[in-house]
Amino acid sequence: MYGVFLVAGLALGAIYALSGVGLVVLYRSTGVLNIAYGAIGALGAMLAWQLEQMQYPEPVAWVAALLVATLLSVAYGRLVAPYLSYREPVVKAVATLGFALMILGTANYFWVEAPRRLYLFTDTMGFELLDVHITGTRALVLVATLATTFGIAVFLKHTRIGLLMQALANKRELSSVLGVPVIRIETYAWLISGFLAGFTGLMFGDLVRPNPGALTFLVIPAIAAAIVGRLESLPMTLAGGLIIGVVESMSTLIKPIAPYRSIAPFVVAAILLLWLQRNRKLTFSGHD
Amino acid sequence: MTEEKIAVTSESTALPRKSFATFPVTRPTLALLLSVAALILIVPPLLDALYLRVFISSVIFTIAATGIAVLYARLGLVSLAQVALVGVGGWVTLRMWHATGLPFEVNMLTGAMISGVVGMLIGLPALRMRGLFLALITLMGAAGFQILVTGTQFPNGGEGVLGIAVTSIFMPRPVLGESDEAMLRYVCVVAVLCVLFVELNRRTRPGRAWALIRKSEACAMASGVNVAFYKAWGFALAGFIAGIAGALLAATLGVLDATTFPASESILLFALTVVGGAYNWLGLVLTGLLFRAAPALLNDIGVNGHLAYVIFGAGLLHALITAPTGIAGQILEGLKQLTKRRVGR
Repeated sequence: MYGVFLVAGLALGAIYALSGVGLVVLYRSTGVLNIAYGAIGALGAMLAWQLEQMQYPEPVAWVAALLVATLLSVAYGRLVAPYLSYREPVVKAVATLGFALMILGTANYFWVEAPRRLYLFTDTMGFELLDVHITGTRALVLVATLATTFGIAVFLKHTRIGLLMQALANKRELSSVLGVPVIRIETYAWLISGFLAGFTGLMFGDLVRPNPGALTFLVIPAIAAAIVGRLESLPMTLAGGLIIGVVESMSTLIKPIAPYRSIAPFVVAAILLLWLQRNRKLTFSGHD
Repeated sequence: MTEEKIAVTSESTALPRKSFATFPVTRPTLALLLSVAALILIVPPLLDALYLRVFISSVIFTIAATGIAVLYARLGLVSLAQVALVGVGGWVTLRMWHATGLPFEVNMLTGAMISGVVGMLIGLPALRMRGLFLALITLMGAAGFQILVTGTQFPNGGEGVLGIAVTSIFMPRPVLGESDEAMLRYVCVVAVLCVLFVELNRRTRPGRAWALIRKSEACAMASGVNVAFYKAWGFALAGFIAGIAGALLAATLGVLDATTFPASESILLFALTVVGGAYNWLGLVLTGLLFRAAPALLNDIGVNGHLAYVIFGAGLLHALITAPTGIAGQILEGLKQLTKRRVGR
């Protein structure tokens, strides 16, 4: 009984965590908190659903979803984001809100609200662990999340591009003076983040439902996970996402709070935020 | 320039000196009063039943946008929970009426005050942080309210604290706004009062503190301004105004529904406040019209409502990149250019 909800919670939490990691990677190197992250994934997932309905083979649907998400992200990063590169972080974030509205409007126009299901080949796979049946999709989400978080941490630490990304994260102007190719490095960040958005969009579409609105606003709990990592730390974001997912899923078992269980991301984020800043004073150095 | 000076002096002679010092009737405020008077007298009888409703709700969301504008234009803060706070105001107003049956205005002020406190509480964790985290916290607040209110529903005359009944009892309109026409006039008057109340804050102590905080928090603190208090005051004011809007919405419809207050609406209203222009009342009127009247108009000419989102999103990007004062700013700037050219000639 508990195992089922734990596994469901871990899978859900892994999606939150992976989305959070995608947000943090982008925020660290470009200073943009991409609120359109969910919408980008939504368009990819809806496209995958459409291709499936049109009887295309499944790999086509996967590739289309990931490609569209990556392209959207890179297009915004190359075409729009540079205009705002010297504005405050909050303005950059609000601008992505505009992008999110545009994508959401387009997706809602083509795919009106309706009950749908997205089937991926991983749904039919599965194995038993401690009397709990774990579907391939859930296992895939968990493994992918752990591997991606670890992989990105290694990438940032041990490759040249990763090093340059970290340089950008610290001081954008100084890095550009020192000859870091800012736009190119930022494009890599948009690319990674867009790819992750496409992947999480597909997974959420499969595990919950492919619906443009729901997928777009998946970004809110993902932001909660990223806030737990203070938009900086990948391990904290991972932990935050998993905790949120498990708390949300396990709340189903407690009758009085069960209807409100999806509030878990915000409660967890708010408590952790207050706790993490317990010793901070209002100062004026440093960044947001 | 000279014309402006003459206008100001002629107004100041017409008014007692003291009131000029504390609350000057400047040209924009005068224009606001005149246009609202015109609206109240001329427009309502000309509209059909549908558009009366649409305009009532446009004016109500103009009021809500006034709260967003206080935070955005005065403090540079982004609040993405305004429609949720409208919901809080509406919830409390309905609860108060079903429990006490007091006149609408009393319930409205209670709802507004509680909504102000809630607004302050949402902003509180972010007081020690900068802009981005605040925006994110309010976004969480909006999403949280959506979940809470979907679970609890709005009170409709039942027993207990939540007050849910199977068949809804409708809250009556305020005495002065029983017909749709009268209600439109009523909300217009309240809207003007709200704008004037914000203006009063802007021109007195809180406004001066906000101006300093916006320039530099360090400077504000060094000159003895209580930064945390005046930021919290801004949140409370924005929440209070949202609560007023919520009460008016509850009064217009009689019952409320959780589907009116999702997080997406809060986001959209914020976006449209930036698009319309957060820096003056014309922009806020445009925001209300874009939020409620534009979808109805687009529907009338056969454009899919979802495409409005695409236009609004593009408008937001455009406003942020090239037109920080929004449509209203561009209109007023254009008018200024015109008059300047005429004077020059």
